[in-house]
Amino acid sequence: MALVPAPSNDRKRVKVYELKNNDWFDRGTGFCKGVVVSQDEAKILVASEDDPTRQLLETKISKDDGYQKQQDTLIVWTEQNGTDMALSFQEPEGCAGIWDFVNEVQSRLQALAQDDGLSDDIGESVNPIMLPLPELGNLHEIENHMRAANTTPGGREALAKFILSQDYIPKLIPLVEMAEDLESASDLHRLCSIMKMLILLNDTAIIEYVVTDDVVIGVVGALEYDPDFPLHKANHRQYLSDESRFKEVVKIEEQAIRKKIHYTYRLQYLKDVVLARILDDPTFSVLNSLIFFHQVDIVQHLQANGAFLKELFGIFGAEERDLQRKKDAVLFIQQCCAIAKSLQVSARAQLYQNFINNGLLDVIQYALRHHDASVRVAGTDILVALIDHDALMVRSKIFQAIQEKTKPLTDTLIELLLIEVDLGVKAQMADAIKILLDPNANSASIEALGRTNSDFLAKVRGTLPAMPQTDNFIQSFYDESARKLFQPLKDLEGRKTMDNLSIQEVSLYSHLVEVLCFFIRQHSFRSKYFILSEGLGARVAQLMDCPEKHLKLTSLKYFRTCIGLHDDFHNRQIIQHHLFEPILKILFDTMPRDNLLNSACLELFEFIKRENIKIIVTHLVETYREKLAAITYVDTFQSLILRYDQMHEPPTTQELENSFTSVDSDTPARNVGIMNGGRWGQALKDADAEEEAYLNGSDDDDDDGLPSAVKPVLNGASPVRPLVSYPDDEGDDDDMDILATSAPLVSPHNISSATQTQETPVTSPSPKPTGATPPERISEKRRREEDEEDELLANISNSSTKRRASLSSNSSTASTGSMQRLRRKPGINSGKDNGGGPKKISLSIPLKSGGEGGEGD
Amino acid sequence: MSIGGSDLDKAITQLRACRPIPENQVRELCYKARELLIEEGNVVGVDAPVTICGDIHGQFHDLMELFRVGGDVPETNYLFMGDFVDRGFYSLESFLLLLCLKVRYPDRITLIRGNHESRQITTVYGFYDECLRKYGSANVWRYCCEVFDYLALGALVTGAATSLSPTDGPLAENINIENFPEADADIEIETLNANGEIMYRCARNSDSQSSVTSQPNSNPASSSPIAPTPSRVGAAGTGATSSANGSTRNDTGAILCVHGGLSPLIDTIDKIRLLDRKQEVPHEGAMCDLLWSDPDEIDGWGLSPRGAGFLFGADIVKCFNHKNDLSLIARAHQLVMEGFKEMFDSTIVTVWSAPNYCYRCGNVAAILELGEDGSNAGYVRRSNGDQGGGGGGWILGSNVGVGGVGIGNGGPTGGGNGNSVGGLNRRLSSVLGESGRTREGPGRRYRVFEAAPQDSRGMPAKKPVADYFL
Repeated sequence: MALVPAPSNDRKRVKVYELKNNDWFDRGTGFCKGVVVSQDEAKILVASEDDPTRQLLETKISKDDGYQKQQDTLIVWTEQNGTDMALSFQEPEGCAGIWDFVNEVQSRLQALAQDDGLSDDIGESVNPIMLPLPELGNLHEIENHMRAANTTPGGREALAKFILSQDYIPKLIPLVEMAEDLESASDLHRLCSIMKMLILLNDTAIIEYVVTDDVVIGVVGALEYDPDFPLHKANHRQYLSDESRFKEVVKIEEQAIRKKIHYTYRLQYLKDVVLARILDDPTFSVLNSLIFFHQVDIVQHLQANGAFLKELFGIFGAEERDLQRKKDAVLFIQQCCAIAKSLQVSARAQLYQNFINNGLLDVIQYALRHHDASVRVAGTDILVALIDHDALMVRSKIFQAIQEKTKPLTDTLIELLLIEVDLGVKAQMADAIKILLDPNANSASIEALGRTNSDFLAKVRGTLPAMPQTDNFIQSFYDESARKLFQPLKDLEGRKTMDNLSIQEVSLYSHLVEVLCFFIRQHSFRSKYFILSEGLGARVAQLMDCPEKHLKLTSLKYFRTCIGLHDDFHNRQIIQHHLFEPILKILFDTMPRDNLLNSACLELFEFIKRENIKIIVTHLVETYREKLAAITYVDTFQSLILRYDQMHEPPTTQELENSFTSVDSDTPARNVGIMNGGRWGQALKDADAEEEAYLNGSDDDDDDGLPSAVKPVLNGASPVRPLVSYPDDEGDDDDMDILATSAPLVSPHNISSATQTQETPVTSPSPKPTGATPPERISEKRRREEDEEDELLANISNSSTKRRASLSSNSSTASTGSMQRLRRKPGINSGKDNGGGPKKISLSIPLKSGGEGGEGD
Repeated sequence: MSIGGSDLDKAITQLRACRPIPENQVRELCYKARELLIEEGNVVGVDAPVTICGDIHGQFHDLMELFRVGGDVPETNYLFMGDFVDRGFYSLESFLLLLCLKVRYPDRITLIRGNHESRQITTVYGFYDECLRKYGSANVWRYCCEVFDYLALGALVTGAATSLSPTDGPLAENINIENFPEADADIEIETLNANGEIMYRCARNSDSQSSVTSQPNSNPASSSPIAPTPSRVGAAGTGATSSANGSTRNDTGAILCVHGGLSPLIDTIDKIRLLDRKQEVPHEGAMCDLLWSDPDEIDGWGLSPRGAGFLFGADIVKCFNHKNDLSLIARAHQLVMEGFKEMFDSTIVTVWSAPNYCYRCGNVAAILELGEDGSNAGYVRRSNGDQGGGGGGWILGSNVGVGGVGIGNGGPTGGGNGNSVGGLNRRLSSVLGESGRTREGPGRRYRVFEAAPQDSRGMPAKKPVADYFL
């Protein structure tokens, strides 16, 4: 038997993907070739482009029909061991070459197998199907035929082959208009059912075909008459015929790309509108991956097209007079960046690099100052995407600007935040400032970058002039910009009344206080001295005098954040300036009503009590003893006083025992985190060595309080451990990852997130697949029916979360870091284990009763 | 720009037609709502009569159907237990309409927070995308998320009647009338279909309830022996009342409504008050548990497969109810094909109000009506802090499992021993259901309904992307 000729092995550049945990994991880029090993064995090999001696892929071509070609550049198959793999070719020719090779090898192998008389199911799968030539009279028959064929995998396959090979769809299309002319609702409904069935065959080729220019209008025309809605006709044709929806800011010369843009749009329309209600999971994921690969192609093409970029960014030059065009160009870039979020990190880096070289930062500056709020929104969007992608790079640019004595982006942002009138944009700008100054924000992208492509990382590092440390950046922020940012707060000094704040002021102050909360958590010691030198604590306290309750609440949260840090520096500040005065005022104003403000106050005092923050307890009781003693509607304040008394009286043996139990069991920070949202981890982490040193250097004269950070645990908390794993516990990461990934439920929603996520600021070191990994799993992507479990939080934490989601609430502190915490270790508590008893309860009972026992009498 | 009075009514009209209101109105609305919600406690007090609803999930047309079946606002008082958004295609319209109604009739409608009322969840499950599509920016999503942070965590319904005033609605077809209680009996449970026809009725303290008790509690999905009505629903879900046969005194306890369930960190309702709820839903801790936990057929607490919250068993529910003088916990959070499902001897009920969930699950939905206790002898709200000296002992009780009746790990040594014993005894008796101490459940009228007729609306679809560059 003649050997299959190996395909001409010119270098076919290709990316190798492997499906891991329902994300396409990039195994690297290399050159692909097909080799014939022997008469009955052929392989596909991919050698790494960085290191040609390293094989990224070596796979034996099997005779079974497991290979699929999608679009022009993608081959997908399942390995013998069940792993799903994909090759994404740079050139369609390369793909076609390998595809032909695979086909030839397969047919030869199958012929061989048949010769041996070992053919198993081949006969069945080629069982052909014939449908009659469609006309209005036989639609019923066709529908029944199709329904029958639809029930078996073989039938579906045969049906798909027949439909394509016989050009069946174009034959169906004219019937729609005929039936419309005859006003034959039943025929129209049948046509719709037939068309739905065709698409839900979930054959990539068919789906790609139905959105081509020739047939798309006809296809959606048929789909307008849904038998499920007999009295309703959709207007898909009208919608899709409207050419004006396509905005071409800069002419795209490449026909293929233009086509792809339209196809993508139609695919989205199919997915969101036409089929939204009836999509099954496999079809949904096929649509998604088609859309994804199209978008990747489009964006890759554009960002590599120098002339195009030049013209695009040229629009922002002085000679362009058309303001609408400028606006559209901003929106265009925004859309590019949105798509880029789902690109591979290296591809995305390249895109941003090209954009920046063409002047992206100027565009952002332009957009941020635009009079139209929607453009400002787009501008901040682009900026946030850029920072999320690579905060280091943005910061280095800002550094550069500072050195060149031009106005850095931070200052622009600050100025704009202070004057922004659109409250939504204002919120977004406040978020952007936070992200820019988040010391954890850089690690994710660089880490991911290093993983995917170390060469590239080196290149990037090379191009950036001496990567400035995040630390320096933050330092310079406090040297230069922070004052400007918080000036409005400072200006409150001497203000007589808070009664007449404008809406704008209220919103500005709450953003500023939230940013300040973020800063004291994230850059503890710099912010500390900044706050001290500017006297901001007292200013925030002043805000509690305003009539707007939500602003009171925000201010209160500032103090809760400070106290939550377990830092006596903050605590002394608060005490020294008598800042509990306004807090108690809120408490007395609201009590004993049961409302949010009152609860927030109680939570604060509960925290102080539970943590037994001695310096504060002492201050409170010594200053306000009588006032506090009068509060009886909760026992928090009695307990506070008791704490104080225990501290200051020589304990009897009995009391010693009591107080020992109560302090021990009630104190641990861990417990606190659990009570109110788990932010202790972040708080404690901030007390790092550097800070310690800093503090010791300048401020070690008074030692009356506790050590500056109450370290997490006395003995009481240990039982919690087995239940919840914390990211800080090194060595746990593996377990957690296994747990997270082994959950079969991780799959369903990666799609929705992958298309829209940004890099997460991962504080944990665990290498997790980020939302940047591209192609979609071919099947099982989404499981809507079994609802309960797909709401797993673990799921979300696995697909990366949108950062703005976590940032815009000042309380969601440790966004991703803390997400890990909720993945509990497997096998600790079966939950059904009657004898052993639940761990959690055995923890909490002694805790509480111990505490109250100590205080109650 | 300001939204109030007639503007508000206009907005309501517009939203009822499933048309979004302009961004600036959303902002005003959200600010107004924030002012209101900040005054609510973490657990809102609600007086019966009230109709309790479960998850809505952006199924706007089905929400309209709900109002049709349950009565319109403000004629009917409503309590929605969260999960207004995500999954369905009209989260925005659904949530904004509910919020408008809240602002317009603050005392008539109560909204509490579900696990989907969160930034992180909505970015994954649809609400974020929907806002982006409908407004072109995330601003509206931000405003809504800000409101989410202010939503109460639970509600406490007081003053509910122990028995229902009988409806004079017609009987549904195929009802076997012989199973019906006497006309003068105290009706504890009644199930009506969407047309107000009676599908099932059950009296309190009646021996003739063989049909009810014979229903396998563990298999609520099995077709009911009663009422195979056109709406496919019998009285499934009522795992009712084999043990709830106490006397007919009018002393029903309060009903706690939360989205998810209980938390091991919360043993009294007053503890919920000590939370600062104005935050993104955390990933652990009491607030998280209230929104994420599920009841399950286990003893004590178990890990939740959801990755947040816990599973809790019958013993936990019974202890909690006893300790807090509750007769029932109403919660949502889990799809139940029959619309509602009572568990653990009717000490907890799941109410689900999104029919044909995700436009494909084929389930029916339900709402739970609690009547007003006309005799005024109903539950009197506790003043805070009257737990008094019982504290130590009560807590000990939660260590007691049902099965083994073993005493967990004995609790702390030392003080409060006398209390503990008393508390323990009471706890045991309540857990074992031996005495009449168990609070009687309120009279419960479930209205079951299916998805809105499809032709009453367009085909559900997402809003297409308007303009495109790429």
